[in-house]
Amino acid sequence: MQVETPLVLLKNRHLGRPATFEEYRAGGGYEALIATVGKRTPAEVLQLVLDADLRGRGGAGFPAGKKWQGIPAGYVGPRYVVVNTDEMEPGTFKDRILVNTDPHLVIEGIILCAYAVQATEGVCFIRPSYESDAVLIEEQSQVARDHGLLGDNILGSGFSFDIHVHRSAGRYICGEASAQIKAISGLRPNPRKGGPRTSVKGLWDCPTIVNNLETLANLPGIVRNGPDWFKSLARSAGGSGTKLFSVSGRISRPGCYELPIGTPLREILDHAGGMPPGRVLKAVIPGGASTPFMPDKYLDLEMDFEPMKRAGQRFGTASIMVFDQNTCLVGATLNLMEFFTRESCGWCTPCREGLPYVRHLLRLIEGGQGEEEHIGMIKDMAQAMRSAYCAFAPGAAEPLLSLFEYFEPEVREHLRQKRCPFGNPPPAMRGKACGTRPPTFGPTPCPEDQCPI
Amino acid sequence: MSLPDAVVAEIDGVIAAVEHHKREAAVDVMYALQRHYGYLCDEAMHYASKALDMTTLELESLATFYDYLYRRPVGRYVIHVCDSVVCWMFHQDSIFDYLCRKLGVPPGGTTEDGMFTVLPAACIGNCHNAPSMLINGRFYDRLTAERIDAVLAELRQSAEEPVRCK
Amino acid sequence: MPDLIIDGRPVRVPKGTPVIAAAESLGIVIPRFCWHPALGAAGACRMCAVMFLDGPVKGLEMSCMVPAADGMVVETFHPEAVTFRRRVVELLMANHPHDCPVCDEGGHCLLQDETISGGHALRRFPGRKRTYLDQDLGPFIQHEMNRCIHCYRCARFYQEYCGYLDFGPMQNANRVYFGRFASGPLESPFSGNLADICPTGTLTDKPGRYKSRRWDCQRAPSVCPHCSLGCATVALSRYREVVRVEARENPAVNGHFICDRGRYSFGYAASAERPRQARADGVPTSMSTALALAGTRLGGVVEAFGPEAVAVVGSARSSLETQTALTALARAGGWRGPAFFADRTEQQAVAAALAALAGGRARSLAEIGQADAVLCLGVSPLHDAPMLALSLRQAARAGAVVAVADPRPATLPLPFTHLPLAPDKLPGAAALLTGAEAADAAAIQRALPLSPELWPALERLAPAFAAAGNPVLVFAPALAAQAPADARFGLFPVLCGPNAAGAALVADADAPACDDLARAIEAGEVKGLVLAEADAAALSPRLAAALPGLETLVVLDHLPTPSFAAAKVFLPTQTLFESGGTLCNNEARLQYAAPVAPPGEPVSRDGRGGHPPRDYARKLPGTDPLPAAALCAVLALEMGLDMPALSFAAFTGVGPEDVAPEGTRATRLPAAPTAPAPPSAPPGQGLVVVRDDALFATDAYGRYAPLARAQAPAASVVRLHPDDAAGLGLADGEALTVTVGDRRIEATLAVSAAVARGAAVVPRLPGWAGLPAAIGPETLRRRQP
Ligand SMILES: Cc1cc2nc3c(=O)[nH]c(=O)nc-3n(C[C@H](O)[C@H](O)[C@H](O)COP(=O)(O)O)c2cc1C
Ligand code: SF4
Ligand code: SF4
Ligand code: SF4
Ligand code: FES
Ligand code: FES
Repeated sequence: MQVETPLVLLKNRHLGRPATFEEYRAGGGYEALIATVGKRTPAEVLQLVLDADLRGRGGAGFPAGKKWQGIPAGYVGPRYVVVNTDEMEPGTFKDRILVNTDPHLVIEGIILCAYAVQATEGVCFIRPSYESDAVLIEEQSQVARDHGLLGDNILGSGFSFDIHVHRSAGRYICGEASAQIKAISGLRPNPRKGGPRTSVKGLWDCPTIVNNLETLANLPGIVRNGPDWFKSLARSAGGSGTKLFSVSGRISRPGCYELPIGTPLREILDHAGGMPPGRVLKAVIPGGASTPFMPDKYLDLEMDFEPMKRAGQRFGTASIMVFDQNTCLVGATLNLMEFFTRESCGWCTPCREGLPYVRHLLRLIEGGQGEEEHIGMIKDMAQAMRSAYCAFAPGAAEPLLSLFEYFEPEVREHLRQKRCPFGNPPPAMRGKACGTRPPTFGPTPCPEDQCPI
Repeated sequence: MSLPDAVVAEIDGVIAAVEHHKREAAVDVMYALQRHYGYLCDEAMHYASKALDMTTLELESLATFYDYLYRRPVGRYVIHVCDSVVCWMFHQDSIFDYLCRKLGVPPGGTTEDGMFTVLPAACIGNCHNAPSMLINGRFYDRLTAERIDAVLAELRQSAEEPVRCK
Repeated sequence: MPDLIIDGRPVRVPKGTPVIAAAESLGIVIPRFCWHPALGAAGACRMCAVMFLDGPVKGLEMSCMVPAADGMVVETFHPEAVTFRRRVVELLMANHPHDCPVCDEGGHCLLQDETISGGHALRRFPGRKRTYLDQDLGPFIQHEMNRCIHCYRCARFYQEYCGYLDFGPMQNANRVYFGRFASGPLESPFSGNLADICPTGTLTDKPGRYKSRRWDCQRAPSVCPHCSLGCATVALSRYREVVRVEARENPAVNGHFICDRGRYSFGYAASAERPRQARADGVPTSMSTALALAGTRLGGVVEAFGPEAVAVVGSARSSLETQTALTALARAGGWRGPAFFADRTEQQAVAAALAALAGGRARSLAEIGQADAVLCLGVSPLHDAPMLALSLRQAARAGAVVAVADPRPATLPLPFTHLPLAPDKLPGAAALLTGAEAADAAAIQRALPLSPELWPALERLAPAFAAAGNPVLVFAPALAAQAPADARFGLFPVLCGPNAAGAALVADADAPACDDLARAIEAGEVKGLVLAEADAAALSPRLAAALPGLETLVVLDHLPTPSFAAAKVFLPTQTLFESGGTLCNNEARLQYAAPVAPPGEPVSRDGRGGHPPRDYARKLPGTDPLPAAALCAVLALEMGLDMPALSFAAFTGVGPEDVAPEGTRATRLPAAPTAPAPPSAPPGQGLVVVRDDALFATDAYGRYAPLARAQAPAASVVRLHPDDAAGLGLADGEALTVTVGDRRIEATLAVSAAVARGAAVVPRLPGWAGLPAAIGPETLRRRQP
């Protein structure tokens, strides 16, 4: 049964195109900002966000207000807000839908965050395939600027803040907050661990708040309607707000759905039209490629950070990829490992070397050449990947380990039949050539059609 | 080959916009040069190095890190075919194979007429329209063999003369 | 001072110490690749994982990333940690080529060690290995990327620690490649350290490649003789040839690293041109014949003209042992000297520089890295003392202000302010920055009225130096008088020659200088000269010119200098590698270099096509040279002189037995002599001559080392300020003919605003030694095609 739920983030979606400034304004847009800048203190805004218990929507679920509190009190100098619009985790496309629905909601959210932390400049970090979104944000920021809502001396309050877009050249690891700061700084985007947090020493060594774009888009609502309203949106006890669920894969109506946090998986899938005819659900990956497979026994689990954590699952980015009974999960996992292998930053051993290691063994298994001992070897290395430098390789280990936790029989069937039981052709034993790296550098010149490594 | 004034102006503008932190412009400058030359030839790298006060090694260490900067010649249209898990579920591999067969190139290869390069890409954020590909910033949804044929034909029509390195 | 327990043993370490270092202080060496004491933690290799059982951190963590904290209980051999480390080695070895038999790192390879310690013996991974193409990285470093384990040590050292950006990581994921944009020589003057710091055979020492297994080499702790800093080195010798020099850790001086000059200039010792046999009147002879002849000839001079007619000249490149023996010999004979310096002003200057160090004002090279403001006065760090540049970089990374007041163009891998000022302007500039109060704009303009372009920089620098709590003045001896009385300022003289400080300590305050001896020869007062490990041409052109007026010239040396060619009697001496010896560095620190191998013609040259040599009965060729000090003693014996037993303790206050491994500061410094007058402006219109070192082959030894010489600039360059070039009607890049005495040298003109007005910067090479203090249009002329 489908329940109509209020749309907060996507309420202008019916337009079928990005809402204009006027349309956004007509729906009460920028009221929060007008009521805030110069009228509330930054500390009051921060308190609202703390009370609303707004948790990060970029995957880790860290409370936004708590992160903002990390800026050293009394710090004098530039402060930055980085809006993480990298969204390169397979299965995730919510930020793109959100920007394209209501760019000014996002812009207002960014400004509110900036006001709360007294930032001087905002950087929207955008992946290359979202070039049109980059242009959209640039155009609409100009509109906001023209209305005195952005730039110097916003609304005559003396508070100045501006936004610019930083175009990425594309790598999943650039989504990681510290790597993103390095990417913006024109450095190699290897994450940075140890040492001061980015809220103390981030972009250009200044305090920097990195938040997901969806996280910030919740701010206008929170500021306007109050923390209690925000909390009341959620269905789970202790949850707060609505969430954009990206639903893709074997589902009737793949797409992005805004639903209360805590909505059970079953209902979300119903919103997306349920399973297509003749397809039976085998598992989902609930929160983007770095969350574990979630078998159908969890259909009634509340989709929220804490309930899922308690069940040994992860909410992640709430990007639900649906796998049906005919999809080989060894093949799917192999595909994920191909992705992670290619996107790794190459800094630490478990990731740089561990991923190609398990990938090779999965290729053998999927191609019917697997040996019993390969299973142990994969588990060994997946375990080692959990102690990598950043959360990338541990994320990759999630689907891998859950494959064995829930679907080891399916893996063993590959060994027994010496082929993929779902009839997939054997995978290429080598990757696809990238074609764009300097051939005289690095690996032995690529053979015509394959990546040598 | 010296750069046209428009490209020089674009690069100068990009750098001026981030005046105090020139390095931030590194990727944008390389994009601008890539649009002009078609790819980042050594000449482009040397130009960027001078414009940004960064060494060619520093720029190379960025250019070769990223996916959308090309250090080898590519075609006029670079086709980034998503090969991540959702598209894969929809037999993305066969789409990839079809595209390669149709164009007569291996993955990563460029057609003889210099028109197309086929590159595997990580999820392009269009999973709800899988299988999917990206060409010149445009998404192509729910690909089938017929749709691919149509897209290629359309692109061939609108092709303009690509700029090349000497 | 956190207290923690590692493997059941309590340890207390300074705050901020990483657990990996805390364990090391207990003698527990946790496996590691990326961590390096000088570079700190990277967390990249994951090899150093240990189990944290109790305390603020729990679970499997990297011991390099976690600072020791109170209450920690750490287990390095916890099963989970051991298993994890075994996986890490397995992963690293999955792509390693296992080419240890042909790898120069083999046997001293950290990867071999950790593979064994990690317990990874059998390969289970069925996949292929990744392979790379290598680059040509120039003459010093061999590239073999297949062996790389991606610990990022090289990149962190090269880019972060040293500040050079032509080498580093490229690509991502499992394609990461360490190299240059394109093949070509590494630009960093510290590139040789890559061979030391790379834990595998990826980056190895190219000149020493395939010469020997490291453990087959004779090895000894040595001291670098290529500038006055005295960095600690390890010399490796094989088949009677020094094949490699490596950095040795000396926390008080060079830390873990040395410069490329110090690493690659050892070739003088095995050079084919090195004179190894005694000569009498130019004819090779036996050592005993030559010694007897030297005794007779010198004895004859003494008999005919008295002992005052014999003089001794030593140099700043000899060890204290040699300098002391020369003094003893001169005293025994009642001869003049020894003279160690070109003129008295230089000798006084060096003595004054050392005298200034009294009262705890001396700073070590390591301490420069901790200073918060450094002024280099008349010193060009990268050329006069290369490792100084690396210490300055560490200071700058920690926020120090660095200024270089020097007439020569300066490049440094760090943010710094160059004040190109002619020598006579340097005292004024120093006064502006070393006063207790920040000089104001008016004072700056008064001090340097003709250099308005430097005013803004000085106005920025003055308050920073005034506010600094730990500033250091790095200075050339000629500017010793500028050492501020303000005790805040640490002092760090940079001298000319590896044992210049020793020479200044050993020399009598009223000892003659070379110029004095030249005058005495010209006047016919001196008829016999003993020239020990000194090249008259480089030391004092006047002395070199006077040599033909001698009745006898006895030369002791191991370098084929022009003085060797002029010798009547030549006695070959051993190098520091062979005799060992004590050197006193710029901060008056005595350090002992142990002998690494006896002298001898390298086997590579001696084999005469057949290997191994079959003639077992013959004497090994090239083994004649003796330590200069021993030759002095024999000569005294030949002449029936009673040479006093003299130890350098008499001059330095530190005896040979007191020299600690990290060196010991001399306790007897010259009693504050009158500092020489600061440099004055040249009379008239001339341009004051300023000599500039190059990284390679301008130091006494480097000039005779083939590999170093191959790196020297092909053409000599004269550098002028644009105004001065215009005044002479000369343009940048023009070919010049420079007149030095009666010779003409070809050079190219480089014009740059980084040269001080009024200065002509010329190479510090013996051929140029004869230039007068100031030159004009008659010396610098456009070369006629
Ligand atoms: C490998 C990796 C990739 C990530 N990619 C993204 C991303 O694409 N977008 C995003 O918002 N956060 C991403 N994150 C999470 C960020 O590190 C960071 O936690 C987040 O941007 C913080 O914002 P939030 O607190 O608003 O969620 C990624 C993290 C990791 C480890
Ligand atoms: S786990 Fe290691 S190699 Fe992988 S992305 Fe993170 S830091 Fe880079
Ligand atoms: S070249 Fe050597 S130092 Fe550099 S990453 Fe490889 S193994 Fe480490
Ligand atoms: S800095 Fe001087 S002493 Fe040190 S290694 Fe270089 S030349 Fe030798
Ligand atoms: S998986 Fe193909 S677009 Fe996301
Ligand atoms: S030594 Fe600690 S991670 Fe490399």
